[in-house]
Amino acid sequence: MSGTIHLDPIRPVLREWDGPLTRDLVQSPGNFGLGKVPARWKPASVTKSICGFCSTGCSLKVHLDEAGQAINLSPDPAYPVNLGMACPKGWEALSPLAADDRATQPLLRNEVGELVPVKWVKAMVEFSRRFKAIQAQYGRESVAFISTGQIVSEEMAFLGALAKFGMGMLHGDGNTRQCMATAVTAYKESFGFDAPPYTYADFESSDVLVFIGANPCIAHPIMWQRVLRNPHQPEIIVVDPRKTETAMAATQHVGLAPKSDLTLMYGMARALYERGAVDREFIAAHTRDFAEFEQFVSGFDRQRVLKASGLDGAVFDRMVDTIAQGKRVSFWWTMGVNQGYEATRTAQAIINLALMTGNMGRPGTGANSITGQCNAMGSRLFSNTTSLMGGYQFTNPEHRAHVADILNIPEERIPDRNSLAYDQIIDGIESGKIRGLWVIATNTAHSWINQKRFRRLREKLEFLVVQDMFTTTDTAAMADLVLPAAGWGEKEGTFINSERRIGVVQQVSRAPGQALSDFRIFQLVAHYWGCEELFKAWKSPEAVFEILKKLSVGQPCDFSGLTGYDKLQKSGGTQWPYRRGDSSARERRLFEDGQFYHADGRARFIFEEPREAPEPTCDEYPFCLLTGRGSSSQWHTQTRTGKSDVLNKLIRREAYVEMNPLDAKRLGLESEAMVTVASRRGSMQARLVVTATVSPGQVFIPMHYVKTNQLTLSQFDPYSRQPSYKFCAIRICA
Amino acid sequence: MLAPATSQLSSVSDELWVDGPNLVEQLVSDQQQLQTAVARFAEWHDRDVPELESHYRKLIPLEKPGPGEQFAFEVDVEACSGCKACVSACHSMNGLDDHETWRDVGNLVGGNEWDPIVQTITSACHHCAEPGCMDGCPVLAYDKDEVTGIVRHLDDQCIGCQYCVLKCPYDVPKYSESRGIVRKCDMCHERLSVGEAPACVQACPNEAIRIIKVDQDEVKSAATSHPDGFMAGTADYSYTIPTTRFLKAVTPADSSESKAPEFADVSRLRVEPSHFPLVVMLVLTQAAAGCFVAAQMAWLKGLEVVWLLAAGTALAGLGIQAAMLHLGRPMKAWRAFLGWRKSWLSREIISFGALVPMAIALSGLALLEMTAWSEWVPVAEWKLMSYGLPWLLVLAFASVWTSVMVYADTQRPFWSLPRTTFKFYGTILVLAGAAGLAATGYTPFMVLALVSLGVKLAAEWVFLHRRNQSRKGMLNQSAHLMWGPLRAVTAARFALAVMGAVLLPVQPWAGVACLVLSEGCERYLFFRAVVAWRMPGV
Repeated sequence: MSGTIHLDPIRPVLREWDGPLTRDLVQSPGNFGLGKVPARWKPASVTKSICGFCSTGCSLKVHLDEAGQAINLSPDPAYPVNLGMACPKGWEALSPLAADDRATQPLLRNEVGELVPVKWVKAMVEFSRRFKAIQAQYGRESVAFISTGQIVSEEMAFLGALAKFGMGMLHGDGNTRQCMATAVTAYKESFGFDAPPYTYADFESSDVLVFIGANPCIAHPIMWQRVLRNPHQPEIIVVDPRKTETAMAATQHVGLAPKSDLTLMYGMARALYERGAVDREFIAAHTRDFAEFEQFVSGFDRQRVLKASGLDGAVFDRMVDTIAQGKRVSFWWTMGVNQGYEATRTAQAIINLALMTGNMGRPGTGANSITGQCNAMGSRLFSNTTSLMGGYQFTNPEHRAHVADILNIPEERIPDRNSLAYDQIIDGIESGKIRGLWVIATNTAHSWINQKRFRRLREKLEFLVVQDMFTTTDTAAMADLVLPAAGWGEKEGTFINSERRIGVVQQVSRAPGQALSDFRIFQLVAHYWGCEELFKAWKSPEAVFEILKKLSVGQPCDFSGLTGYDKLQKSGGTQWPYRRGDSSARERRLFEDGQFYHADGRARFIFEEPREAPEPTCDEYPFCLLTGRGSSSQWHTQTRTGKSDVLNKLIRREAYVEMNPLDAKRLGLESEAMVTVASRRGSMQARLVVTATVSPGQVFIPMHYVKTNQLTLSQFDPYSRQPSYKFCAIRICA
Repeated sequence: MLAPATSQLSSVSDELWVDGPNLVEQLVSDQQQLQTAVARFAEWHDRDVPELESHYRKLIPLEKPGPGEQFAFEVDVEACSGCKACVSACHSMNGLDDHETWRDVGNLVGGNEWDPIVQTITSACHHCAEPGCMDGCPVLAYDKDEVTGIVRHLDDQCIGCQYCVLKCPYDVPKYSESRGIVRKCDMCHERLSVGEAPACVQACPNEAIRIIKVDQDEVKSAATSHPDGFMAGTADYSYTIPTTRFLKAVTPADSSESKAPEFADVSRLRVEPSHFPLVVMLVLTQAAAGCFVAAQMAWLKGLEVVWLLAAGTALAGLGIQAAMLHLGRPMKAWRAFLGWRKSWLSREIISFGALVPMAIALSGLALLEMTAWSEWVPVAEWKLMSYGLPWLLVLAFASVWTSVMVYADTQRPFWSLPRTTFKFYGTILVLAGAAGLAATGYTPFMVLALVSLGVKLAAEWVFLHRRNQSRKGMLNQSAHLMWGPLRAVTAARFALAVMGAVLLPVQPWAGVACLVLSEGCERYLFFRAVVAWRMPGV
């Protein structure tokens, strides 16, 4: 190449091959195993941190400058979860930190209704004064908190302990209610403890993978990577009303009618039974109530199932045959199951399938719930909301005494009653039972089902405190007090991912202005509330990690064998349980010995007659609305991903609604037409996208758009109290 | 000592706050410490071998391309799950500006109502065998590497004319307002040169992107024999001969007869940038040519020509000045002759660069003839005009021809050769008539203006009827744009034209002004309503 320069007289004289603009893009070896990096961002050192978006729990190598400030990042090749890969959100994890709407100082609503900056001291005084005044007038239970799956376990635990043991609250719940409550309830009842049994290696070991209401291509791309690494040419069955990206990539798409999943699962159980695909030995040794289950599903004959699900008989038979013949069948589910009005029983119907076929506790098997948020699993153990921190029960005096002992607090500080669930807290606002609310790192005003109602109810709250990274979230905008929080990357702690892997999150960036980590905000609150005595030992996230370890001792989630952040970091994360002396294998699954967590060591078959959908379609509202993740580059309500120009480029900024071509033709609508989508509760404008990935009679709108949840129906699973986002009746007009 | 529960329900006592300010200060200060991660966890030791090397080793060729070969992207469309990590990775690993992406993704839709196929198409620069960007660049700021075939952009050579943006049928070069230049994918040539994989190849969880070697002659013959063989919905394969291979992308053959594969966003209306300085430049230079036409006609009729000549000269000069405003780095524009062998833009610049001095000379001499210094003019006026004017006219028409070719060469249907020729020369005739009438009062000029205007308007009106057809056709989409988001300008175009026509006989100069503005609207629509060739979008 160099030889040609002399042959071209124009080159050196008239063509600038180098210069300041060219040098902007020059690369140099980054060292630290990075390969080439942009020369101007050459790191002085690197560290590793677990990603703060979804529950996959990818490790990111953060490139630091001399001062220890993050300048870039790349996925960590050495981590057993992501093997050097990340989705676009992970790659862009640092971008939201630099957004210009970061909360940099506390904001307090003044007499004329404007949010104005105040000092931390003033903010804390108001926080304590107003909440205490409400408690004094209406009782302690009148102040509640809404937590999140987005902060580290140490902060979650601090929040739960502070609110309930320090501030005397009874009611608190998390946004995890919106994503994982169903899996929690289902596992607790079926296994005796909330314990997703799998490890990601199971994706690679199965010969049959069944995804039910899950779209990992988009929602968990790095898990899908593991599926593609499966060397066994697996059959991949996707059970989903939509022909999703995952369904396209699968070998079988079972496009059932929305919310016919429970009937379908029971029908599958019967069909598997009829094919003799039942592991009698496993059932006898490790389960209970199979005979009743067998009797129950006998009512779900093929004809009934096909009628309810709208499936072609051949599709159903092929699926059942595949599962029956599979040697290592794994079942995976996500929000398509969890967010339903009979979700817990549906999740348990999936668990039943795995139990009856003996697909449990072996590589490539399991009834596996894929979690949503980066620390939903931490929240499940330590948020101190639904269960007493550490996986205990508020209503059990022994548990209370045990926890009080470990935390070194008076036992009577621990409430002996259960909290209201998220939806009941919202109802409580309406009834006047809840007068003050503290919302931490979640965006209720966007994400909660039937959103207009929450917006209306806000007026009934006497004091609403929102603690968030941004001042512009839909919820922060309506707060009385905004507390500026540091975000992911600006604090440390641990996350627990979907496969129960505990990993460390590092501080790699300075928080803007006066923003503080949630942990430090809780320290301040404890001080100003006057209960810091209780939290003497809660000096740092790592100190709290030690407390959490103690809480876990003797529980199925026991991770007392871990020594500290350093070790955890070096080991590439560790899955619970991890007691002293446990195997340090990088991939471990539960129930390899067939012992479940009920007292008798047996898993339960739990089942119930399916019910009609609560809001069937009708002449006035003829379409069924499905909602879900629209793109791998958006996260939830977009408060963070919306701050990245790159991620914004990868999606439609404008809300859209997908409709089948036959429906569009009938209504005389073309793609890109602006249409009004209306339910009984609200309406929104959206661009029409005509696509056959949705079936006739159904439409799909991504949940990321702020108006989507004005349409959805306040309907809940009775056991998990998880909202049923996936089905309501709507109409569409031009 | 913990306060008893009852006292907690009353308001907070002051003493609890005494330490508060100190605590706040302490916590805010702690929050600003960054040393923990570095001190405890950072890796300080250097490791030269990239950790992902074993992952991507099989995804890039082991050796440089042989003679007649070049590197190319290969995308396994079925392996792509649509996660879009390639876009983010390219952005981060190349250190691009916040909003800048060199790789894009979109969806290609096939199948039918019952069995839809939606494929994610990830694409960056196709490192074409005959790059449109390179052929269009007036300053030779593109280079196709002789060994690797990688099409590189020389950032310091770029003058920011953005013609490559118009020329590339895949929307690859991206203009940066702040830098005043274009940048684009260079296939991570620095990485490839040391055996590392490009960012997108490294980052794909599903190994869907790889670098292969292709035989350039094979690609060329494939492109010539199958002009629609690159991908459904994209520009003619043989225009730039892109080298990227999309394996298993859905083709018409995979779909039911009634439905060919199409872009997911095939019906989306996009308003293109106005390139306003170019609107001004085109209208003024064509008005100048119109003045020269009028001057020629007036000369033949024995009428006064000097003012027409002078006006034309001034307009041409202004037009060239306006064009300079379009450049991101005008100081480097003197290089614009370099690309004359292939670039119509380079030729346009050279051509107008010759026209303006000639017009200045001619009109200067003509003006001198009118003054006391007329004896200093070496040639008689009649000789000057009889010989000079036709040559000026020829050069003006040639210059406008280069303008036509600048746009026609982009292969955009709305800018096709017949359409652009009709528009540009039509403008010359309309304004020749109008200016001639205003300057001389000679009635046939009015006939020329009104007839050519009428023909132009009629053609545009007929074109607008495409709005009643599907948005999927590129020309139909232009009509939808003009009738939709650009409706106000479309209305102004017609209203000003009618006003101009009405005013011309009574207030000729006012008529001229209306018609110039009207043609300006037409040219604004020419830029904004054009539909560009591109890859599928989201």
